[in-house]
Amino acid sequence: MSDAHAKQWDYLLMVLTVALLGSLGVQSFLGTLYVWWASSSVPGFEIAGYGRFVWWMNAIAAPQVVALVLVMGLCVPKRLFDRTALIGVSAGMVAVGLAAWALSASFQTGLAVYLALAALIQVGVVALTVAGVRGPSYLTEGRLVKTGSGLLHLGFIVFAIVVVALQRSTFMLPVFWAATALTLAGTLLAFYADRLAWRRRVRVEVERSYDEE
Amino acid sequence: MNPAVTLAEIEQLTTRLAAIGTPLQALLPAIAVVLLALAVVPDMRRYLGPAVAASAAVLLAGEVVLAWFHWRLYDLAVVVSPDTGLVVGRVAVPLWIESEKLYVWALTVAVLAVCIRRQREQLLPGVTVVLALLMLGAAFWGKPFTEPLPNFLGQYTGYLAAMASGNVGQMMGAYQGMEGARQFYYNTAYMWVHPPALFFAYGTFAISFVATLLMVRHRHSSFETTAYRWIRLGYIPFTAGMLLGFPWAVIAWQGESWWWSGKVNLSLMMWLLYTAVLHGRLYLRRPGMWRWVAALSILSFVVLVLTYLATYVVPGAHSYL
Repeated sequence: MSDAHAKQWDYLLMVLTVALLGSLGVQSFLGTLYVWWASSSVPGFEIAGYGRFVWWMNAIAAPQVVALVLVMGLCVPKRLFDRTALIGVSAGMVAVGLAAWALSASFQTGLAVYLALAALIQVGVVALTVAGVRGPSYLTEGRLVKTGSGLLHLGFIVFAIVVVALQRSTFMLPVFWAATALTLAGTLLAFYADRLAWRRRVRVEVERSYDEE
Repeated sequence: MNPAVTLAEIEQLTTRLAAIGTPLQALLPAIAVVLLALAVVPDMRRYLGPAVAASAAVLLAGEVVLAWFHWRLYDLAVVVSPDTGLVVGRVAVPLWIESEKLYVWALTVAVLAVCIRRQREQLLPGVTVVLALLMLGAAFWGKPFTEPLPNFLGQYTGYLAAMASGNVGQMMGAYQGMEGARQFYYNTAYMWVHPPALFFAYGTFAISFVATLLMVRHRHSSFETTAYRWIRLGYIPFTAGMLLGFPWAVIAWQGESWWWSGKVNLSLMMWLLYTAVLHGRLYLRRPGMWRWVAALSILSFVVLVLTYLATYVVPGAHSYL
């Protein structure tokens, strides 16, 4: 994928992610305000009304969460594939997820399979990044920063798998700890790569005024 | 364990805490007023550094007193099974709950303020205002020395009263409640990691908020860099604290729709907003992007304050109502 196209795609996915997170945030905020109001104004709300509130909140949030998981999955192959291949890979991931849903008759399983595919690709992205192979495209610079970014996103995908599929499994805790370790180690690397690097590079901070903008 | 003796010893302990802590608690608003004056009057700002350091020392001294109180309480707060008469364990009450939350938050901000190096002169007035407000909150709302741990002491003294009553039903009910709270709340590793990690993050986010306001005022990228550095310092413990809450919530709140609890909701929103700030700043070179980053950063801090308040006003799984 050309650099300009890759950055445009990155930006589009980021805007989509922020829009979805924003709408979930607005829903949460309005829900919180409603509970605050209802618990003092609607008699017996906590006994009779809260269950209905939870049902509605789940129903409204479900399509947004599914869309968020899909976008999260799409964010992964963008690092590896060019634009044409990316559409194929993304469509393939969705198709495999849908097939898993149809075969198992469980939407949760479909989502989990889709996330597992995303995790597999992300493992590949991290491996290539660590090996220093030119290929994975990032917005950030420096191998350690990129590795950190790759690891922390892998951590979030694994955490999403825990939430979607493993909450009642005996694997929940070990997988959760792996996700936490990946996320935190990745974040640490992404934020403090310049201090953790074996060979330190002195970065010059370019200061500018925003007045011209 | 003799419930009557234990109750008397706890009363004696809280009286001693109040005796030592009352002057300190009274000192907090006085220090806060001085800090506010120093922050507001430009000519007096040269005294801000030493004043903030002195405030941190006073708050730290108070924290030592509170740690002593908790240590003594740990000795006294035993839980005995009515069935066997054997001690099943002691309650290790964490140092950052109930009446002590605002105090710990103030202490964290004070210590972080002492550590500020980059753009210290510009940041200190704003950070001092935040610190002063937290100290006022700790003195007038929290009251950790004169009204310590109202929920814990209420439950534990209720448990002691039930144990002294001789009524088997009452004893079993109080024991189950107390032992459940000991095992799944006070003594969990989670309670010893999650709140301090978040308070540290809240402290760094407060400083980042001040830097963002300076960025909006001066329209200069150097303040954005400062704001980012403080956010990234807090984001790691913040994420760790949030993640560690998950397995605990799955077990402790089993059967409850805890994800729609106001506090959990707003906490998630806050995490998402700070994540959005960190992603947004990757595009800072785009014209006008700094405005979005600043707006998101300010909104994140507003949500942080709402998250803190939600615990006290919105009912739900993570609520003290």
